[in-house]
Amino acid sequence: MKILAVRNLKKYFPIRSGVFLQVTGWVRALQAVDLDIEQGVTVGIVGESGCGKSTLGRTIVKIYEPTAGSITYHDPDGHVHDITRGLPRKVRATFRRDVQMVFQNPYDSLDPRMTIRDIIREPIDTHRLFADSKVADEYVGGLLTKVGLYPEYARRYPHEFSGGQRQRIAIARAISVKPRLLICDEPTSALDVSVQSQIINLLKDLQRETNMSLIFISHNLDVVYHMSDRIIVMYLGHVLESAPSHALFDRPAHPYTQALMAAVPSWNPRYRKLGEVKLEGEPPSPINPPPGCPFHPRCPHRLDVCDRVMPEAVEVAPAHLCACHLVADDTARKAKA
Amino acid sequence: MSASSKLIERGERSERVERILTVENLKTYFRTPEGLVKAVDEVSFHLDRGEVLALVGESGCGKSVTALSILGLVKSPPALVEGSIEFRGTQLIGLGPKEYREIRGRQISMIFQEPMSAFDPLYTVGYQLMEVARAHMPWDDAEAKARIIDTLRAIHIPDPEKRYSEYPHEMSGGMLQRIMIAMALITSPEIIIADEPTTALDVTIQAQVLNLMQELQRDYHGSMIFITHDLGTVAEVADRVHVMYAGKIVEKAPVVELFEDPLHPYTLGLLTSRVKREYKGESLPFIEGNVPRADELPEGCRFHPRCPRAMDKCRTLEPPEFSPRPNRGVACWLWEEGDGR
Repeated sequence: MKILAVRNLKKYFPIRSGVFLQVTGWVRALQAVDLDIEQGVTVGIVGESGCGKSTLGRTIVKIYEPTAGSITYHDPDGHVHDITRGLPRKVRATFRRDVQMVFQNPYDSLDPRMTIRDIIREPIDTHRLFADSKVADEYVGGLLTKVGLYPEYARRYPHEFSGGQRQRIAIARAISVKPRLLICDEPTSALDVSVQSQIINLLKDLQRETNMSLIFISHNLDVVYHMSDRIIVMYLGHVLESAPSHALFDRPAHPYTQALMAAVPSWNPRYRKLGEVKLEGEPPSPINPPPGCPFHPRCPHRLDVCDRVMPEAVEVAPAHLCACHLVADDTARKAKA
Repeated sequence: MSASSKLIERGERSERVERILTVENLKTYFRTPEGLVKAVDEVSFHLDRGEVLALVGESGCGKSVTALSILGLVKSPPALVEGSIEFRGTQLIGLGPKEYREIRGRQISMIFQEPMSAFDPLYTVGYQLMEVARAHMPWDDAEAKARIIDTLRAIHIPDPEKRYSEYPHEMSGGMLQRIMIAMALITSPEIIIADEPTTALDVTIQAQVLNLMQELQRDYHGSMIFITHDLGTVAEVADRVHVMYAGKIVEKAPVVELFEDPLHPYTLGLLTSRVKREYKGESLPFIEGNVPRADELPEGCRFHPRCPRAMDKCRTLEPPEFSPRPNRGVACWLWEEGDGR
């Protein structure tokens, strides 16, 4: 069952300057992104800072209004709603309950003046899950147990907990209203390595239990691979490659995906590999993106057309899409032969 | 720098090692309303010329405080800094502020984690580089500027004359981190302390910066203390590794041996916490529990509440450092008899 369909999504942020705050430019954070979310499936979004992965997550949960494109929401009863512009009143409550988010930094995302009980009760009360407050408190205790904490912790405040424990609290709050889609924006990046795996396991266990969908945003390729069924590689607001996780890792088609994988340290001091990374330069600014393919200034396999025409995504294998002129040429040649 | 230091090849010691820094029983304690925080507790290690020593550990393990203590940046009092830090025959603990300035920034310099917050946004990077040169080097301004631009060129900054007069906000994080490396290099220091130099950077930029640091390491033959929480980057750059946990060094090893034959259960836990491809579809292995707070350290071995092999002894007695193999050290009771497997 489908939950969300995103087509051609664009998000530009205005840059205002001068006394009258006139718009003098645009930050092109998202350019033509397509995305489908099916029930129970995890889509990983990977890319470096400024690639638009967080903007994509935030536009999908309707924190930001898209500049162009469309977002379609399929509610639990199977009705289809266009939520591109605002959130129509009749779907607002359903959507807000159905789609939840876990943020990167659990030190910022929990109100320091609320007890853990109040933090987790907030969405429950907003959506009027229980008529009886006692029942709700028991439910909170159950949630805390489910995320690996103790029900007694409900009386405490966020500062009494470590980063990993806080992220567990943030997850308990997000799943309290039984969402069908959970968007996790770098949920383990602020955590210690020994704790990161605990949180990943917890998210996987919860997903298995509730069959919810996940959008898992991260810059860490290994973590995204572990979590996801399908992975989208973003660069400067564009989707460069999208494929089932194992296909993306076994046969990365786009030169950027290949470079990204090569830049991950080896963990093997006998075979140091970073010296072989040949990727020069840095991602360009989304305020003034290069013409043609956004990756062409850094691409080791650049062709003549690359700085003029943005390549269309072609299917290099079933469900494996790649937007690259070089790959498109190869695919066309193979198809002819 | 001199050609003699070329004698030291990665992994194996030549006979003519030159010891430039010796830290013995370093204690850095902070008094807080919650009680005494033992951020660094009886830490001993040494650094030889031309080598990269990695201090690895999770947040709160004391790795950054160790660096700040070496640089004399922990104010004592109110903090308590005790033990011995000997740099080329000079005792740094108790050294006066004036004498410390001769060493800090000139002979021992530091690369900080967040390039965006380490620079002053109100001055051009050139001005900030010049400040270092003026404070430490006998050059006049024209010569200093020429040398700064040479240094920028040496670390592959395109168009260094133009970059010199730019402000920090005009540059990307990766570029600023390279400028900070240049800043640490201007005085040709003997030791560079790099505190999580690539943590704030993207992987492709991290690869570039790590490559640059290795290149400089080879060319300048300086020594480096590389502080990080990321064992992946340790495998790429370090010669020797010290693993820290809750203010203590728990394991010391040459880099290859650490990865292939970890002795301490915590090191083993860190190595297995890596998210490997084989784990897809399964639960990830992890270390139980959380890092203890510095003001609530457990009795005995500080790792025992999370240790899968904890014994009765571990709960009450702090383990000393054992040396079951040459060039290795491990603070764990399992190795008391010489074999902890």
